[in-house]
Amino acid sequence: MVRSRRSALLALAAGAALVLAACSSSKSGGTGGASPGGSRNYSGKTLTLWHYEAADSAMGIAWNQAIKEFEQKYPGAKVKFEEKSFEQIQKDANMILNSDSAPDIMEYNKGNATAGLLSKLGLLTDITAEVHNYGWDKKLTTGLQTTARYTGGIMGSGNWYGVPNYGEYVMVYYNKDMFARYGLSVPTTFDQFESVLAAFKQKGITPIANGGAEYPAQQIFYELVLSKANRDWVNNYELYNGKVDFHGPELTYGATKFADWVSKGYISKNSANVKAQDMGNAFQQGKNPIMISGSWWYGAFKTEIKNFQWGTFLFPGNALDPGSSGNLWVVPTKSKNKDMAYDFINITMQPDIQDLLGNSGGVPVASDNSKITDPKNKELIDNFDKLTQQDGLAFYPDWPAPTMYDALVSAVQELITQKKSPTQFLDEIAKPYNDYLAQIGK
Amino acid sequence: MKGRSPVARRRGGHRRRGRSAYLLFLLPGLVLSLGVIVAPLLANIWLSFTSWQGVGSPRWIGAQNYTRLFKDENFWASFRHTALIIVAMAIVPTIIGLLIAAMLFDYVAKRFGNRTASAFRSSLFVPQVIPVAVSGIVWGWLLMPDGAFNATLRNIGLGSLAKNWLGDPDWALPSVMGVMFWIQLGYPIVIFMAGLQRINPELYEAAEVDGATWWQRFSRITVYQVRPEIYVVLVTTTIAAIKTFAQVFVLTGNGGPGNATLVPSFFAWRSFFQNADVGYGSAISAIMLVLILVVGSAFVWLQTRAGREEF
Repeated sequence: MVRSRRSALLALAAGAALVLAACSSSKSGGTGGASPGGSRNYSGKTLTLWHYEAADSAMGIAWNQAIKEFEQKYPGAKVKFEEKSFEQIQKDANMILNSDSAPDIMEYNKGNATAGLLSKLGLLTDITAEVHNYGWDKKLTTGLQTTARYTGGIMGSGNWYGVPNYGEYVMVYYNKDMFARYGLSVPTTFDQFESVLAAFKQKGITPIANGGAEYPAQQIFYELVLSKANRDWVNNYELYNGKVDFHGPELTYGATKFADWVSKGYISKNSANVKAQDMGNAFQQGKNPIMISGSWWYGAFKTEIKNFQWGTFLFPGNALDPGSSGNLWVVPTKSKNKDMAYDFINITMQPDIQDLLGNSGGVPVASDNSKITDPKNKELIDNFDKLTQQDGLAFYPDWPAPTMYDALVSAVQELITQKKSPTQFLDEIAKPYNDYLAQIGK
Repeated sequence: MKGRSPVARRRGGHRRRGRSAYLLFLLPGLVLSLGVIVAPLLANIWLSFTSWQGVGSPRWIGAQNYTRLFKDENFWASFRHTALIIVAMAIVPTIIGLLIAAMLFDYVAKRFGNRTASAFRSSLFVPQVIPVAVSGIVWGWLLMPDGAFNATLRNIGLGSLAKNWLGDPDWALPSVMGVMFWIQLGYPIVIFMAGLQRINPELYEAAEVDGATWWQRFSRITVYQVRPEIYVVLVTTTIAAIKTFAQVFVLTGNGGPGNATLVPSFFAWRSFFQNADVGYGSAISAIMLVLILVVGSAFVWLQTRAGREEF
């Protein structure tokens, strides 16, 4: 249900016995001049589609509708949807995409270790021409484009290998009832935010729900780093545009502030071994009034939190927040119906499907916000739009290197248990970062 | 050839035919073990000399993974932890298990009947039957900062001892070891109680007549007689300790806090799957394989030596 969206680095599971990863040298099949939106005749043809979103999730609902519309728009065409698990696609992607059983279109993880790598291996179609023809690039802001474009397998710029359909970002969830009980209002600056934290602490309440055993803690740390960072710094850190000084002002501030929050008791010293789900439960049970985490909690909170009012706001004072596009529609090189795939993607990018995605609790990338009826969903999408318009998607701290996720989890744990100083902490996370950059020759 | 009797020839022929017939029956097992054990094993060893992300083609890098391993602090830490886990999973349960088995067999069974002894034995064996995923999660709850364990301590006035058992880097490994001991204890008890039934009661009677104390009977007769069982228990639990994965995965999630509960198989898994550093993960597995082979053959050697002495 709640899946950690640190997808760029998520395990590249590979079966031990699968030694022979065949090398593909297929050329990306150009489809020639596509005329977008035209009503081609797909009668008698079948589009094989794979994705791994649950049927009752926002994406599942919206895409199911897109399938229906596609079949209506192109009489005689059929969409064969095959439900796959996240792990299945993750594990076997390279083998499947290299074979004749490759689907015509599928959902795939964004990031260097996944879509980037497959694009480098020639398993994904370069869809740059279609993106321009259909005008998808005009619908997607720069931050959302970053994860769809790869050069030599590294994201950020270059050709398009996928199209994101939804977004995600980290925000502050807060318990309105508890704020009201202590007469606290929503903070708009970082200082105000810290005084809210102090006020709760004074009442004996640990303000921030934290999960040190998984991704949440490092995202709080990254928020603090971002409060002192700008876009150039993010691009240096995430896209290797320039050298990152791990003892520079941004990271030093993030680490010091995080340690400070731990010693002040804003973050519990006991949260080192708390898992993400348990952090969510603590917020849901009203144990902590604040939780700093991603939009992937939104749907669950909306249905599950009954006994108090809650809301969200963007991390006060930050122009940048962790977040990115969602996973991508990709067209395998071996797809037999590429034109159908493009027309299908196009339908999912249309306002009605995007609005449906938003109304179902997802974060659409190209919706008409006046069509979003539910006030809670509107809050979620408005904040996202605000963030993307100020070019505020700063991705995730573990993206730059495959080993960063583990390094961050264990290093932040040592900040939480106060085993290591901020300086030692920064040295610890600098190592995998610099090692990886040396390995890829950056 | 000339002097060979027809009978011998017939028997020889029969044996040959018999052997090839047996081979046919061995074939499915052979194919399976080739496919499921031998091939992945060789693949693992080969991969340990490559750099591979799990996708694309592996690149041969010689022994680089191994030189990197020997310089990796986490690698040494994980093997230090293994040594402690062997204590918790093999040595302590074997000693305590033997004592409990002897007590149940000698005392409880005689005083309260075999049923009571079996009831004790079964209940101590229950942790072995419960899936680790279940017992691990329950233990995780019990050991939480505001969990039942600390609440009990507070209620009996030992609140100062309460701590974040799995989240404190100094206490995480001892806590995991405690859970492992709890899981493991039933196994030696069951094996030893079976072993004790084998011992000729006359030995005990004779010793009793000679005025031997319980402790003397235990140390001179019981321990000596169940030696084969002790070897079996030690070798299987030691190997299980070296392979420990699930307990750590369920209890501390990431081998944390920090790397306080990192163990080799978890480290291998993490490198292999999570960090997409397949070669490195394979190298760790290869070293574990060597270690297990060494431990296994050492025990077998000890056992055969001990067996030889007896005759």
